[in-house]
Amino acid sequence: MAKIIGIDLGTTNSCVAIMEGGKPKVIENSEGARTTPSVVAYTDDGEILVGAPAKRQAVTNAKNTVYAVKRLIGRRFEDKETQKDIKLMPFKIVRADNGDAWVEVRGKKIAPQQVSAEVLRKMKKTAEDYLGEEVKEAVITVPAYFNDSQRQATKDAGRIAGLDVKRIINEPTAAALAFGLDKQMKKDAKIAVYDLGGGTFDISIIEIADVEGEKQFEVLSTNGDTFLGGEDFDQRLIDYIVTEFKKEQGVDLAKDVLALQRLKEAAEKAKIELSSSQQTEVNLPYITADQSGPKHLNMKITRAKFESLVDELIERTIEPCRIAIKDAGVSAKDIQDVILVGGQTRMPKVIDKVREFFGKEPRKDVNPDEAVAIGAAIQAGVLKGDVKDVLLLDVTPLSLGIETLGGVMTKLIQKNTTIPTKATQIFSTADDNQTAVTIHVLQGERDMASGNKSLGQFNLTDIPPSPRGMPQIEVTFDIDANGILHVSAKDKATGKENKIKIQASSGLNEAEIQRMVKDAEAHAEEDRKTLELVNARNQAEALVHSVRKSVKDYGDKLDAGEKEKIETAIKDAEGVLKSEDKAEIDAKAQALAQAAQTLGQKMYAEQQAQAQAQQGGAQQSAEGESGKKDENVVDAEFTEVKDKKTGS
Amino acid sequence: MQEETVQPQPEPKSLEALLAEAQAKIEQQRDSMMRAVADAENARKRAQAEATNAQKYALERFAEGLLPVVDSLEAAVKSADTSGVELTLKQLKGALEKSSVREIDPKPGERFDPYRHQAMAAVPSEAEPNTIVAVMQKGYALHDRVLRPALVSVAKALEKAAENPTSSTDSN
Repeated sequence: MAKIIGIDLGTTNSCVAIMEGGKPKVIENSEGARTTPSVVAYTDDGEILVGAPAKRQAVTNAKNTVYAVKRLIGRRFEDKETQKDIKLMPFKIVRADNGDAWVEVRGKKIAPQQVSAEVLRKMKKTAEDYLGEEVKEAVITVPAYFNDSQRQATKDAGRIAGLDVKRIINEPTAAALAFGLDKQMKKDAKIAVYDLGGGTFDISIIEIADVEGEKQFEVLSTNGDTFLGGEDFDQRLIDYIVTEFKKEQGVDLAKDVLALQRLKEAAEKAKIELSSSQQTEVNLPYITADQSGPKHLNMKITRAKFESLVDELIERTIEPCRIAIKDAGVSAKDIQDVILVGGQTRMPKVIDKVREFFGKEPRKDVNPDEAVAIGAAIQAGVLKGDVKDVLLLDVTPLSLGIETLGGVMTKLIQKNTTIPTKATQIFSTADDNQTAVTIHVLQGERDMASGNKSLGQFNLTDIPPSPRGMPQIEVTFDIDANGILHVSAKDKATGKENKIKIQASSGLNEAEIQRMVKDAEAHAEEDRKTLELVNARNQAEALVHSVRKSVKDYGDKLDAGEKEKIETAIKDAEGVLKSEDKAEIDAKAQALAQAAQTLGQKMYAEQQAQAQAQQGGAQQSAEGESGKKDENVVDAEFTEVKDKKTGS
Repeated sequence: MQEETVQPQPEPKSLEALLAEAQAKIEQQRDSMMRAVADAENARKRAQAEATNAQKYALERFAEGLLPVVDSLEAAVKSADTSGVELTLKQLKGALEKSSVREIDPKPGERFDPYRHQAMAAVPSEAEPNTIVAVMQKGYALHDRVLRPALVSVAKALEKAAENPTSSTDSN
């Protein structure tokens, strides 16, 4: 079934997303980037370049490299905006026969729709390469302030690119969809979308209304600045570094194209870095040279410094916000939610300013570069029916498992697993001749059983007496579509089985679930220590057990001194089993293992001797099975079979 | 569910029995469908977790290859003798090469290719237009993907009067 793709056709960059498995996904283009520069170049050999390659050859072909054509699409040549662009753009803007603003490249007049179509074609191709099938339909976003003719022109661009544009939606609406605001708002709500992109700034106030169960978006007002964006922030930083370098070294980097290019890249990286750290370093050795030799650029830039450089730019976004709010006929406190779109909104100072103006914490949980494309994809999914008709499958909010040796929680089903699901694992006994096990079913994220919620328990009895670790007990967890958990335990030797049914959710509400998840995070370190201690204990215990058994079987091969030594080591190790000190347990276990080495050698020699005398037969297979000593249920004394192998 | 398949003379079943049977069958199919969907979803989650992990450790071998370079550079800085720097560079290039990071280093006269080169300036030149005049900085590619284009100056036809070479890359 062919997909409908969602395209954010931006002034500076474009982005494409699809719905996959019920979730939006942004697709990387053939150059490995998640956004594509909205630049189209017409080369002298008739080739049309789109994206990064077009940008890279701009210097050699400025007149035929078209960018920011979104400012022209659907506009008249006489428009004020068109006239402003004519002064700024290196390519030629002309009047078409119908009075529209067109561009002229290589002596040919072409419509902005055709230019945008090239960008759209690239986005279409990106999606097709990923999906491996042809794409024919799309949802495309436009600024909220686009009028009918600009919208129609965008739609035509899609048609030219071979796309049936199923819907044109507003960028702030798409962003709101990406943030899931249509679902979260209980009743009618007003939200603000603050979009500070690469080259433009938009603020929109939109209203989400519930009309007979269907959410409707209405744009109440928009404002902005089409010549203000992240690139201006970069430029401020570059200017600052150039000035400082001139002061210190007396060389003007602005005159050196290569130095400037290196600086441009470094400045953008520094800007990004300063969003997460307080200070960064711009380090460009051999940036330039003069008569005295090579010059290195090494400059520390603090977040505070950078903020002071761009403070005025951020301030410039506030007035449009004020006007938009006024135009919408609301006040800042009527705004339920503020969402951040555009890469530059990652800057903490921008977030602070927005918070200060609107008096609430802005939402930033969706990648701001991709939110609009994601929203378009969600809209596409709704049109396709993908979103509405997905089979709603639940997930287990918390992990499920059983208690094993030493009070450890062994998880069979991880949290967030989609149900219905089934998991099986083999366990064994912890003691010789243990004839019953307790299956203690637990729910939670803590490593230790005691920290989790107990859902129930049952016993599996009549396990034939055998050495520890021998019985194979198959434990199966099965959660059906209704969330009911069936736990069964089966002794593989006898086929005897017991089970328990645990009703859905077991009364945990969302708050409890969150608390338990948080709890697990808070106790992760403590639990890890306990877990290590238990593991050390279990290993030491298994060692004591096996050495003692060997001494019983082969002790007569040892001389009294050796035997004495081993028995002391066993006692020592046993003595610390209850200890809370992992190092101590490990040390004693180590000592025991060493002491037992002589025994191992003796056993090995013995076995070889026996192997030679093959006919000895089943010399030792029936050892120890002296009958039922105790029928006591040993509470959850489980050891995992696979652990057993590595353990001792 | 191993029932006998051969049933001599089946009794005509009542409608209720047929309905119950059909409903049971639907329920069973619904359950297996749900399980299949859930399985697919869980497989997707696992694949995602694996991809995240792979991404996290993908650097491992590359990073390991860089460590000797760091050692050499540190030694160079300490000894204030730079005679080993060239060898160190060789070490670094070896590490890059091993991770399939290759130089993009076009020769003057080669055709300008915007997929691999970035034009920093257009210089009037006797050379054929749109060919490379000089490489300012090498580029690099990882497998077939360009990490960074080579920065080059490109020839343009000598027009009427020699214009100043354009030197702006500002394309936005």
